[in-house]
Amino acid sequence: MLQAVDLVKTYKTDADEFRALDGVNVEIASDDCVAIIGKSGSGKSTLMHLLACLDSPTSGQILFDGGEVSKLSEKELNVLRNEKFGFVFQQFFLNGRDTVLDNVLLPLKIRGNYHFRMISDAMDALEAVGLKDKDDKRAKDLSGGEKQRVCIARALINKPKVIFADEPTGNLDSVNSEMIEDMLFRMNREKGIALIIVTHDSDLAKKCKRQIEMKDGKIIGEPEENLQG
Amino acid sequence: MDTKELIKTANRNLLRNKLRTLLTILAIFVGSFTLTMTNAVGDGVKDYIEKQVKNYEGSAVLFINKKRETKDEEALNSPAEYKEEVQDTSLEIPKGETLTFAQIDALSKTFPEVESFTPSYYQDTEYITLDGNKKYRVRLNALAKGMTQKIELGSQINGKNQIILQFDIAKAINEDLETLIGKNATVGYKLSADKTMQTIQLKVVGVATKGLMGSFSSTVDAETERQIYESQQKDSPDFNKFYSFSFQMKSSNAAKITEIKKQLDEKGFEALTYADQNKRTYDAVSIFQYAMGLFAFIALLAASFGIINTLVIAVMERTKEIGLQKALGMSKGKIFMQFSLESILIGFWGAVLGIVTAIILGTIANFFASTYYLESFEGYSLVVFKPLSIIFVILLITIIAFIAGVFPAYRASRLNPIEALRYE
Repeated sequence: MLQAVDLVKTYKTDADEFRALDGVNVEIASDDCVAIIGKSGSGKSTLMHLLACLDSPTSGQILFDGGEVSKLSEKELNVLRNEKFGFVFQQFFLNGRDTVLDNVLLPLKIRGNYHFRMISDAMDALEAVGLKDKDDKRAKDLSGGEKQRVCIARALINKPKVIFADEPTGNLDSVNSEMIEDMLFRMNREKGIALIIVTHDSDLAKKCKRQIEMKDGKIIGEPEENLQG
Repeated sequence: MDTKELIKTANRNLLRNKLRTLLTILAIFVGSFTLTMTNAVGDGVKDYIEKQVKNYEGSAVLFINKKRETKDEEALNSPAEYKEEVQDTSLEIPKGETLTFAQIDALSKTFPEVESFTPSYYQDTEYITLDGNKKYRVRLNALAKGMTQKIELGSQINGKNQIILQFDIAKAINEDLETLIGKNATVGYKLSADKTMQTIQLKVVGVATKGLMGSFSSTVDAETERQIYESQQKDSPDFNKFYSFSFQMKSSNAAKITEIKKQLDEKGFEALTYADQNKRTYDAVSIFQYAMGLFAFIALLAASFGIINTLVIAVMERTKEIGLQKALGMSKGKIFMQFSLESILIGFWGAVLGIVTAIILGTIANFFASTYYLESFEGYSLVVFKPLSIIFVILLITIIAFIAGVFPAYRASRLNPIEALRYE
């Protein structure tokens, strides 16, 4: 479904050129569950940004359902991200003063054509993360674990094909981490949503079907594959 | 996001930091208030002038005077060598600029549309008395033929030796104005040659309405004025020399009057109708409005930097939020619109606040002015709020606010979502 071909991403600084990605090939199936691991600076975040169409590669291609993403206009890319992707971030990025429901509704509000059926969709998403009774609470009044569950609900509301999770448990204690992990894996299993997790938590990575380890902008292997296999 | 949702979001964002929003709105408020008040005061005066013009009957009267030669003007403004010579000191204006009765008569006959003419007789009266004992200082003003004065009571002048008393003098003579009508009054004046006092008997036919224009003089007809003039000035060197005069037209047809004005202009005369004369005051008020409007505009300009400042800070504060919105598929245009709407709303609310305050204070000022100060100016409102002026103020400020918002909104729309969402 999502495929990266010979991805290269370079950042130019004043003095020299920095190769964040150096010829990366990845294929992600529609029900995949992939962990991208590696030290900071290894290029794992850059890879995720490119796969999520938040950035464009210096060379190489991203294919989504067989179509070249680079051929899409900015507007079409916005629509693609809005309709097919879900995002979960380490920092949550919730609007604290807005209600939980409003936060969950954000992707649909951005899409436009706001109507009441969306609220029932949002309530379904909140039910899936066990926060149906907190829809009218202000986001800032929630605990860290609850905040991340709101983020998952927000990622679910547009019924995405892929969820990109950038260090989803990085700010959470172990109990909440486990809850969030279980939730993400359950979405992957039950709803068939592909899951791409960027993390340096090896325990979390191990729970994924595949692990892609990166170093210096290159994939150095999928070391855990054999163990799971 | 659709427009409704964008406006809702913009309003909510503005309410996030109420104090900052309020302070920015207050800066706009100052400009809006000044602009609205300036317009209202100016419109008040203009409105009054318009009413006055309507109150006078006389659209068929032309007031004419000889144009000053430009070279004379230059001569007056540049240094000139002094030569001792015997000069007619009683004449301060060059002789060429005055006309004799016969000359005016001749001029009027060249226009078939002119029914009659009245030279501007110069007269200077001393006092008026009804009972012969109590005398009041008085000035007389003759209405050109074809003009009528608005009166409080009594009737218009319809013949020789009649007078319409000025409101305050009438009140001073007798509180009960009704009793004055039909009485005989004696007006005293001094001869210009030997300063001996002369009198003339006039019949009181009416009392003038209190008003702004001509409110200091009592009114007589042109013939009476001529009589005083001839008696008072006949031995003066200025006798039969007129600086200005008026023509009474057979009709008030605007096209004909314009044509005659043009012809008079070619002959070296300046001709104005009563409305033209008022237009000068009107134009002066307009200039005042423009000048004050400029100050208000400068205030708005300063306030627009407040908007820029507020929004630049808002963009910085909401960097992550903008990044998230972009990641979730919000377009540059929508982000731009969201911030633009915030600046427009700041402008709009500032404008509305200024206008509402101006209307409240203006209405209070009108009440006090009409009760205490402007009593004698009937029909005069200190401030007049015109819907068109108000719409203009709202539009202008909204546009200024929008322009102020362009830079921060553009910055927001250009934010790179990856940079914005990067953990610090």
